[in-house]
Amino acid sequence: MWERKIAGRLLLILGIVTATAGLAGCGKDTSDGRIEVELVSYKPEAVEAFEEIAERFNETHDDIHLTIDSPNEAMTILKTRFIREDYPDIVGIGGDINYSNFLDADLFMDISDLAEVEMVKQSYLDINKELEFIPREGIYALPYAANAAGILYNKAMFEEHGWEIPETWSEFIALCEEIEASGIQPLYLGYKDTWTCLAPWNALAVGLSDSDTCNQVNLGNTTFADSYRETAEKTRALLAYAEANPYAYGYNDACTAFARGQSAMYPIGSYAIPQIKSVNPDMDIDSFAFPANENKEDNILNSGIDLQFCVMKNCENKEAVYEVLRFLYEDETIQVYLDNQGGIACKNGDFAIPAELEGMREYIENDRMADYQDHHYPSEMSVDAMIQTFLLDGSEDCVDTFLERFDADWKRYNRDLIRKVQQYQQDREDAQ
Amino acid sequence: MKIKMTNRSKTFWAIIIPVLVLFFTFNTLPMIKGIIYSFTNYRGYGSYDYVGFRNYIDLFTDARVGKSYLFTFKYALVGTVLVNVFSLIMAMGLNSRIRFKSALRGIYFVPNILGGLVIGYIFSFFFTYILPAVGNIFGIGFLQNSILASEKYAWIGVLVVGVWQAVAMNTIIYISGLQTVPRDVYEACMLDGASKWQEFWKVTLPLVMPFVTINLVLSTKNFLMVFDQIMSLTKGGPAQSTESISYLIYRNGMDGGQFGFQSANAVIFFFVIVAISVFQMTVMNKKEEQL
Amino acid sequence: MTKKDRKTNWVLTIILVLGTVTVFFPLYMAIIIAFKQPSEMTNDVAGALSLPARWSLDNFRQAMEVTNFWHSLGNSLLITLATIVLAILIHSIAGYVIGRGMAEKKSFRFIYLYIVSGMFVPFSILMMPLVKQTAQMGLGNRVGVILLYLVFYMPMNVLLYSGYLKNIPIALEEAAGIDGATTWKTYWKIIFPMMTPMHATVAILTALGTWNDVMTPLVIMSGTGQNTLPLAQLNFQTQFGTNYNLAFASYILALIPILLFYIVCQKQILNGVASGAVKG
Repeated sequence: MWERKIAGRLLLILGIVTATAGLAGCGKDTSDGRIEVELVSYKPEAVEAFEEIAERFNETHDDIHLTIDSPNEAMTILKTRFIREDYPDIVGIGGDINYSNFLDADLFMDISDLAEVEMVKQSYLDINKELEFIPREGIYALPYAANAAGILYNKAMFEEHGWEIPETWSEFIALCEEIEASGIQPLYLGYKDTWTCLAPWNALAVGLSDSDTCNQVNLGNTTFADSYRETAEKTRALLAYAEANPYAYGYNDACTAFARGQSAMYPIGSYAIPQIKSVNPDMDIDSFAFPANENKEDNILNSGIDLQFCVMKNCENKEAVYEVLRFLYEDETIQVYLDNQGGIACKNGDFAIPAELEGMREYIENDRMADYQDHHYPSEMSVDAMIQTFLLDGSEDCVDTFLERFDADWKRYNRDLIRKVQQYQQDREDAQ
Repeated sequence: MKIKMTNRSKTFWAIIIPVLVLFFTFNTLPMIKGIIYSFTNYRGYGSYDYVGFRNYIDLFTDARVGKSYLFTFKYALVGTVLVNVFSLIMAMGLNSRIRFKSALRGIYFVPNILGGLVIGYIFSFFFTYILPAVGNIFGIGFLQNSILASEKYAWIGVLVVGVWQAVAMNTIIYISGLQTVPRDVYEACMLDGASKWQEFWKVTLPLVMPFVTINLVLSTKNFLMVFDQIMSLTKGGPAQSTESISYLIYRNGMDGGQFGFQSANAVIFFFVIVAISVFQMTVMNKKEEQL
Repeated sequence: MTKKDRKTNWVLTIILVLGTVTVFFPLYMAIIIAFKQPSEMTNDVAGALSLPARWSLDNFRQAMEVTNFWHSLGNSLLITLATIVLAILIHSIAGYVIGRGMAEKKSFRFIYLYIVSGMFVPFSILMMPLVKQTAQMGLGNRVGVILLYLVFYMPMNVLLYSGYLKNIPIALEEAAGIDGATTWKTYWKIIFPMMTPMHATVAILTALGTWNDVMTPLVIMSGTGQNTLPLAQLNFQTQFGTNYNLAFASYILALIPILLFYIVCQKQILNGVASGAVKG
């Protein structure tokens, strides 16, 4: 009776399984009397840097124990932990709509009494202020590292042909023509992954529209049809100088193509550099800010906060957490992070700028930067997909169609927010 | 006899009640909570307000949701038919007197276990580079551009991968169905001098009809809930032409801040699929009885 | 049996062998990518299909290190096996009770529809409430994941078992009943062994669903320090960079156990038929 044998075996396995599973379940133990501080970061790629930082911290502090966790799919994990009301002490997140939402849900603590806040570059404090749906008193995040977006270019290729870095939009177009004339493809876009459509869009929009455009729309002071027309037209103009049918190729294809010298330039952010270098480790890459305007002085570098630390509101050991933040903000610690991850320090001071961002130095040092516009777009609106739809639309009035849809969808997806913002404005006017 | 039956039904209830409790706790209860959320503007965290039927009213005016329903139904209809035809043929092939039977069965099973990242990379490469190259060589117009980049044809690309993966699972079910058909039935058939074609329609199909029902219901449901292939191949693009209902519910409900609204979408979607499946089962049960 | 009948059908064999190209071609790509270095990745067809410059198991070794392979494999095996065993025991008897009960009572017809309809609930709507609920019940761990799988796969498996039951004549049970056996005993002694092919099917389908699943373990047991293979494989991809070579090596490693499992299960079906357990 082999069936019985199988049934017996099944039961045996079952017994073992339940016995071992019963042993699962763990808890935090701080048996050595140190205060446990838990930091969850959303950047799994920086796990090595964080390990080193945590190790250094724990070596120098015998009253506090720091754990830095940098899991994959960290945003999902953070959201599920918030649902479970199982909060870490500090979270390391980006300066994007998630920050706005978490702040709006009143999850973070005001850290304006932390001295380190004074050392942050003003641009990044401003960027964070603009990310607040409803203006708030206080400071809720300590900006740590930033990235920048514009145009990455193949330096060897540029030097070989003697091409010059453009400073205005017409110079940029002229350069594209020149590159094309020499038989090289000027740009690679890779628009199959819709989010890549936002890279040139953001880089152009910072120079062509106000940084608080979205908020002004919410207040009813302007429309996207007014603010985004030029950005839309110029984003479309890029198609003429890129690969045929860019919707067939993804981000990964574009990185590979640029790395292999199939295009001279790639309109993307500094975050793409590791992926490009993985294909061609010896490539000499440099960058410049997108010359969106005819007037050089109007150009602004697109830079956003890649990592910032926020303290959870219900955190119990404020002093210990502040000690961690102070340590994280020491120049040496920041350098450990930058050496591993590249990017730009958000702290004022003398930090090395990665060689690939050399061309953006002027903007970084003069603090001429503005945030990615898409950090204000609700992700469910899928503006990236809307831009892709617009670029695919070959009709005459495609720009109007797109901008009309942008305004209409914006109202639809931000209904509750717009009401809230206008209510706030109303209250303020009434109070005056 | 009567006492026997009551004992029997006592046993039945003793078994089914704990099962129902388990099922209720981890399926129905959270679903009820989800339904409650569908009347709120909950983002997934933080505070929320009840908004009455606003989410449901919005659903019927949202062009994106409407488009996703159209795409999903088109996809599910074609997919279900193709998968069932292919997997029944495959199952009969793999169940007949062939060599390397276990090896072949193992090989055809592989598509179902490849992870999303692998599928996404390989098929994107296939549609983006290999197929256009083939199209160029043979001068086949519509293949010369990547079909995943075309608003018109991208769904076919997703469909090809969906069918390729689903055939494995449905074949397994058909194989286990074919094994309930006793060998002597075929032998009797042979002796009657029936052709293979007649044998299939007169003998095989009627006997595996319960499995056709199961497979139809399962594959319709799987195709209607298509998610993985979209995630790994198109992410809803190009130009939002391949956004399926499940993809919208997940992307905007979980990633985005539309949890309340997408819960409403999920509730409606649930009733739609249940209705379709009940319809299928009723029709098929009638067919089963006829045969 | 006629002689002709016993002969191998070579035409069919050849067609089926040729058909495996549809599987081997993607598999071939996956395997060569798993052996290549990131710098060997190209955008042209010839380059992508060419063999790696060097056959070395380095990627596999690295992938095993990154995913903490044996630990993650252990968890994946534990969860998958426990789910399968419990599914076969619980779902089969539930399917039996519902399938037979339906013929006799309306209430079981209702139970059948209730459970089967659970198949159509989108996971997204259940996810958040489940995260909260499992945490409150102290089930935010591997046990919780197993329990959830048991519930998720119950509708499909009940459907399968009760469908299969239509092919098992009720006369068998009635005969046993007359002999004085209880329903419980009759089930385990007669019906359960007769459903062997369906057990294999259920085992495979359930294993398939649980083995590659990312979402459930991600939201339920994140933060417990336990990883499953698919969770560990997330290490290879971020929005801005994916190491396809390591990822593919790791996926191929993860594919082997379940493929073996499938082949073993298939043998079981054949054995069942051979030993005459099914409709002898």
